[in-house]
Amino acid sequence: MRIRRIASAAVVAGLVLAACGSDDDSTSDAPDGTDAAGETEGTDAAGGGEGGDCVVGVSWNNYQEERWAKWDEPALKAAIEAGGGTYVSNDAKSSAETQASNMENLISQGANALVVLAQDGTAVIPAVQDAISQGVPVIAYDRLIEDPDVLYITFDNQLVGEMQAQALFDIQPTGNWVIIKGNSADANADFLRSGAEKVIGEAVAAGDITIVGEDYTDNWDPANAQTTMEQFLSAENNDIQVALVQNDGMAGGAIAALEAQGLAGEVPVSGQDGEQAALNRVALGTQTVDVWKDARELGTAAGEAAVALCGNPDPSAVSGASAFTTPGGNEVSSIFLEPIPITQDNLDVVVDAGWISEEDLCAGVEAGSVAVCP
Amino acid sequence: MTDANTEVPGGVPSGPPPSVTAPTVTPVPAPSSWRTSFASADVDTRLFGMIAAIVVIWIAFNVLSGGDFLTARNLWNLSVQSTSIAIMATGMVLIIVSRNIDLSVGSLLGFLGYSMALVQTDGVIAFFNVKIDLGSIGDSSWIWLIALAVGISLGALVGAIQGFIIAYGGVPAFIVTLGGFLVWRGMIFRTGDKQGQTLAPLDSTFRLFGGGPDGSLGEWRSWLFAALGCGLIVLALWLARRRRQRYDLKVRPLWMDTAFGVIGCAVVLAGVGLVANRYISPITGNPTGIAYPVVILIVATLAMTYLARQRRFGRYVYAYGGNPEAAELGGINTRRTVMLTFVLMGVLVGISAAIQTARLNAAVTNLGVQNELDVIAAAVIGGTSFAGGVGTIAGAVLGAVIMQSLRSGMVLLNIDSPSQDIVVGVVLVTAVAIDSTLRLGRRQVALAALVVGLIIAAFVIQTGRA
Repeated sequence: MRIRRIASAAVVAGLVLAACGSDDDSTSDAPDGTDAAGETEGTDAAGGGEGGDCVVGVSWNNYQEERWAKWDEPALKAAIEAGGGTYVSNDAKSSAETQASNMENLISQGANALVVLAQDGTAVIPAVQDAISQGVPVIAYDRLIEDPDVLYITFDNQLVGEMQAQALFDIQPTGNWVIIKGNSADANADFLRSGAEKVIGEAVAAGDITIVGEDYTDNWDPANAQTTMEQFLSAENNDIQVALVQNDGMAGGAIAALEAQGLAGEVPVSGQDGEQAALNRVALGTQTVDVWKDARELGTAAGEAAVALCGNPDPSAVSGASAFTTPGGNEVSSIFLEPIPITQDNLDVVVDAGWISEEDLCAGVEAGSVAVCP
Repeated sequence: MTDANTEVPGGVPSGPPPSVTAPTVTPVPAPSSWRTSFASADVDTRLFGMIAAIVVIWIAFNVLSGGDFLTARNLWNLSVQSTSIAIMATGMVLIIVSRNIDLSVGSLLGFLGYSMALVQTDGVIAFFNVKIDLGSIGDSSWIWLIALAVGISLGALVGAIQGFIIAYGGVPAFIVTLGGFLVWRGMIFRTGDKQGQTLAPLDSTFRLFGGGPDGSLGEWRSWLFAALGCGLIVLALWLARRRRQRYDLKVRPLWMDTAFGVIGCAVVLAGVGLVANRYISPITGNPTGIAYPVVILIVATLAMTYLARQRRFGRYVYAYGGNPEAAELGGINTRRTVMLTFVLMGVLVGISAAIQTARLNAAVTNLGVQNELDVIAAAVIGGTSFAGGVGTIAGAVLGAVIMQSLRSGMVLLNIDSPSQDIVVGVVLVTAVAIDSTLRLGRRQVALAALVVGLIIAAFVIQTGRA
């Protein structure tokens, strides 16, 4: 009996602590939460104030990757607020269903434009059409949504794949290649692959390049990519000249596998996202290229477009928008930003942009081996 | 105390008669057949079945891949790739035996791995607004040990919290660890002020936990390790024999114990001679030897088996799992026992987290995603029953090896990942179906399950080949 009482006391204490924790959280590092609350009161009472009439609702799919909270959100928010709008947001935690209800939730909070980072580009369509039918324009942020009425803003993923392959191809245009792709349910994995095909397709057909291994990776999981790379190396008895890897996390796994064979730095490896650890690897010479998409640019472009859509909900009227035919055959308005392939030769770009400090970039790098690390 | 367990120390069959084999023995009258002498000699047939399954899988992959599977290098890789799941599976056995479940291990592994990495990269232990700066210790060469200690003690603490709520709060383990599944994955983003940024590279000594270029015993130490293992097998067989004689229990024929000793030693020596020392490091040009994570796995398996079979705590776990009411009435402190199984699980997750992050040379936010399912599957394939009271540590380790063999064999054959998932799922259900039908003595049904499972797996593998 006594134990039970102690236990329930402990549970109550835990709940109190949890409540304190969440309070603390929303004031310290999630000012958007307070904004959201302020906004609902604001529109009811004063009908605008600082926020004006433009409320932009942002539906994130998850924060499982380093970039969203750190780079995209601040830029997006700043651009919206600079345009006189108000920023509200929520997180779908990697669930397509949650995302659909989150979008309804944003509209009922008064959003008159939505920015959606889709968990699943197909499953989200009903919710998108629902929003558009209510007169709320939708921006497909970073990932494609197969609906003709959205404005698609992204870095050109096919171009990313092209840049990855090109950087590797420039060093090693022949021999045995392996390709480690991302999640099979993510259209980006196939965009990247088709971009790479533009570069290496001919060489493959001519027999100069042999693709000795190619696989998707569940959840873009670096540990899975490492195992895959180990198996590829075993199967070919280390006779692999190039590893085309689709992002930085998985590149880390592949390089760990190469390192165990003493091949790190000898086999060219690609990546993307501009993760700090990956840029450090580029400086160290174990990763050949990191295609960098400055997420702040994407956030700013989407924020400005969202404010424009508040005024005129026609996506094709947004400045910089052009028509793009999707793989599903839809004609959508789109804004494509151009990524930058980062190699040892232009590492100064990421330092100058304030993306990474020189100290982090050059950790463990022999002085003078690359220009940016003195 | 129940007799419903079938523990085996160090993979060598001995111990009390498994209740499973008893009904199959009695109706067979012929006294001199192989099967009867095998069964009456108290051999864990399930364990033998699993070893047979591994042999079949390995040979099949070797044939399909044109001889790429049974190479020293691939088997060495396989041994390292299996460790993380196998180590956690040894703890999961005790949890499932005591009729609980732990769904939080994958998330916890991510959280502990991230915390350990943060100690190394930033020299701090930090959660939410709390930050402990290790100062100059953070730069010392002992940082790997501090990181490990932080990870393991944090794991034990988390296990204690979850176990306390389950055992003393009476909240079902499914619920508590489902909560933990969400909490610990989320906590990664509240560890330090990194917002989930990838943490790399790690301390060079810490990286030895993951195997890799320098993380192995090397040639002569591997032989020493093998000799030690061989001696332990002989000693265990001899002690078990003497103990049974002392209590006037039935003793296996001497030839059989001798055969077990010889076969056990042969396997250990072959493992070192034909795999670990045959795999030549491409960096040093010397034989690699047994990788450190594999050494850790072997030690963990032996320690957990000893704990489960010989120590009071382990016996209590099986007694409680076999019949909770009887155990409680028998005077066992069941709550404390259950809580301790979760503490143990937390410690093992900490060890696995060290191995995984060291192997990857980085901590990432999706480290350990879905590992809980692999760990549970390994334990279940290894013969652990959700009805409680039944399950062996060695079986779970073999279960993990079977799963990893399937995975890496299929990658070797260039079979795409959706097909891999289907095959592993089919094998999981088939293995348990065979196990439970055999337990009821329905051999034909078990055979049918085996055939159906094999056909589906073969079909999926065939269509999945790129």
